[in-house]
Amino acid sequence: MDAIGFDPLTGFLDRGGCLRAAVRLTEFCRRQEKSFAVLWADLDRFKQVNESFGHLGGDAVIAMVARRLGDALAGRAEAARMGGDEFVFLIPSCDRREAEVIADELLRTIAAPVEVGNIRMRPSGSIGVAILDNGEESLAFIERADRAMLEAKRLGGGRYVVSGDEQVPGRVGVLLAREELVIETQIHAALESGGLTLHYQPIIDFDGGIESAEALMRCRVDGQSLPPGKIIPVAEKTGLIARLGEWSMLNAAQHARRLRDYGFATKVAVNVSRAQLTAPRFIEALYAALYCGDIEPELLELELTESLFLDVSETVQANLKAAKQAGVSLAIDDFGTGYSCLANLKDIPASKLKLDRAFVSVLPDDRRALAVVRAIAQLGRELGMTVVAEGVETEQQFDALAGLNVDAVQGFLHARPMDGEALIEWLRRRH
Amino acid sequence: MVEETTLNTAIEPAMPPPPYLEPALEQSLRDVGIPPRPLILDRIGAEMRKDEPDFRLLGDLISADVSLAAGLLKTANSAYFGFRSRARTVTQALLMLGLDTASRAVAGLALRKVFLAVPSMERFWDASARVARVSGWLVGRLGVRDGVRPDDAYTFGLFRDCGIPILMKKFPQYANILKEADADPDRVFTEVELAHCPTNHAVVGSLMAQNWWLPGEIGQAIRCHHDAVILAAGPLGISPASARMAALAQLAEFLVQRINGRSATHEWEKLGGTCRQMLQLDGDEVEALLPDAESVVLETIG
Repeated sequence: MDAIGFDPLTGFLDRGGCLRAAVRLTEFCRRQEKSFAVLWADLDRFKQVNESFGHLGGDAVIAMVARRLGDALAGRAEAARMGGDEFVFLIPSCDRREAEVIADELLRTIAAPVEVGNIRMRPSGSIGVAILDNGEESLAFIERADRAMLEAKRLGGGRYVVSGDEQVPGRVGVLLAREELVIETQIHAALESGGLTLHYQPIIDFDGGIESAEALMRCRVDGQSLPPGKIIPVAEKTGLIARLGEWSMLNAAQHARRLRDYGFATKVAVNVSRAQLTAPRFIEALYAALYCGDIEPELLELELTESLFLDVSETVQANLKAAKQAGVSLAIDDFGTGYSCLANLKDIPASKLKLDRAFVSVLPDDRRALAVVRAIAQLGRELGMTVVAEGVETEQQFDALAGLNVDAVQGFLHARPMDGEALIEWLRRRH
Repeated sequence: MVEETTLNTAIEPAMPPPPYLEPALEQSLRDVGIPPRPLILDRIGAEMRKDEPDFRLLGDLISADVSLAAGLLKTANSAYFGFRSRARTVTQALLMLGLDTASRAVAGLALRKVFLAVPSMERFWDASARVARVSGWLVGRLGVRDGVRPDDAYTFGLFRDCGIPILMKKFPQYANILKEADADPDRVFTEVELAHCPTNHAVVGSLMAQNWWLPGEIGQAIRCHHDAVILAAGPLGISPASARMAALAQLAEFLVQRINGRSATHEWEKLGGTCRQMLQLDGDEVEALLPDAESVVLETIG
């Protein structure tokens, strides 16, 4: 049975519930002398989804986007669905500055690629922001947000407009979008004119043997290199991350093959993103990379970045299990920080743990870090996992790690990332 | 049962080569395997990214491979591009075609080697070449829309099924899977493949296209070329250029099959309606294309 005041599809407040909550929060914020923001979000060109896929398809997309928006705002706002593809977020104790940050974040959330059944799309949204004025009625307040949203749409969508700014050029939230567009264009250019390369950083065990090599993407366009910190957020937002990920997977597989042809059966590890692993068809791409690279799956390893663990969905688990079945090994990257937690060790069939550099950089002096590393190494051992320490830069760190039962190390002390040919030379010299 | 055997062969280890191969030996070794991206594509890409590309340097690089050089000259001088002047050197061919087109022409020439390295793929390659040729011709006939030029359509036609030789090499039984997919009147082609192996030729092909630096639209189109739902999804599916390339090639395949008098597939039944709609052609208009298409097909055979 559906609760009164709630929208059955999204679990958000419905229109009536929203208006009641707005009255209540307006009073509350006035009494507390706090600011109050309302964001009105609408998906751009959503009519076409319903036209192309029918209302069931449209509903599936709405539900998915709503869930993401709800997650993004968790606890910070009252969320409402005003009907169709229109959402309102009531955010008490929120000033203009914060509201703009949230609006930007919601735009990014909306723009994440959606894959539901046969529908694949990259939605975009328009958001109107209003901040409660002195003595303003809650209804007039919400209306202002709606008008600002319409203005954002008029300007082409994919942006937010703050109520009151409509007539002031340059004060809408598009500046960031423009820089991102430039980066997006550069990523496309790199993908289509050979601007991408993989560099490799060896991982070395304590006998001096090569445990594996991690592939790291480098991107050069117009003679300039684009740092991963700039590429990845834009690639994630635009869905290009999946293409970059597939490109890396295939090229890593091909280089593993090349190393093997030279007599070095060195496993190559490649980073896979959350966007790749949440795609239902990830495993087809993985096999495609193995076949195109013409390589045994044992020579490829997938490094799972820490953001993946934010939400280990069923799709992700199924994909990881299938990858494991394919013979590819899994490594948990940056372990011990961010979202990674012990539960992941139970749920994810990984055979390698990569200890975050944050623990290594303070060795050997930090006794607490020593204890943590020792405990993780012990845990890894009992789980039958290889434990690798990242970011090893000094002999002292290396010696400390040797005494802690860590299996292998990666870092500038032994080798910096190098291009594929340099790696072959490097391997030759060590043999 | 097929599934089990396919999976087993997937991990069959190749003969380990001796260490420290000389580059020439390495090259010949790789020629019998699945060729990775030809290095020349990287060099062309690197020049393309410069303000002042050095055509002479590229000309020298391409000329080092006799068959590639000959192929590129033939391409530039073919009636297809309709240039009045004739290229006599590779550098001239590059200037005539532009690096963009030349890069794809080189990729197409290299792709031929991929197909021919796999036994019994020669006829398949010929069929792809015909579809490519007719696709390019169709653009001339129906007009440049959504940014799809004749050589885009041509390149897509060549690469559309480039996943097939790779899977054929991996799985001896893949020929049978293809037959089954061709004969299936209902299921999506790639679904039939997926019932037997863990991936399909569309995904493999799109990865390979990316790896060879082909435009993203071509990769996308390869990935979805059997998927009527995505092709019909308009702005929500793949880009209009990708969808158009896929539709043009599907129509080209249908025309080629009609002209050759054999239709071993059901793809036009599954996708034809969508493709006709995208290209805004009714059945009679498709029929009307046949006589001229026939002469294009005959040229390709010759």
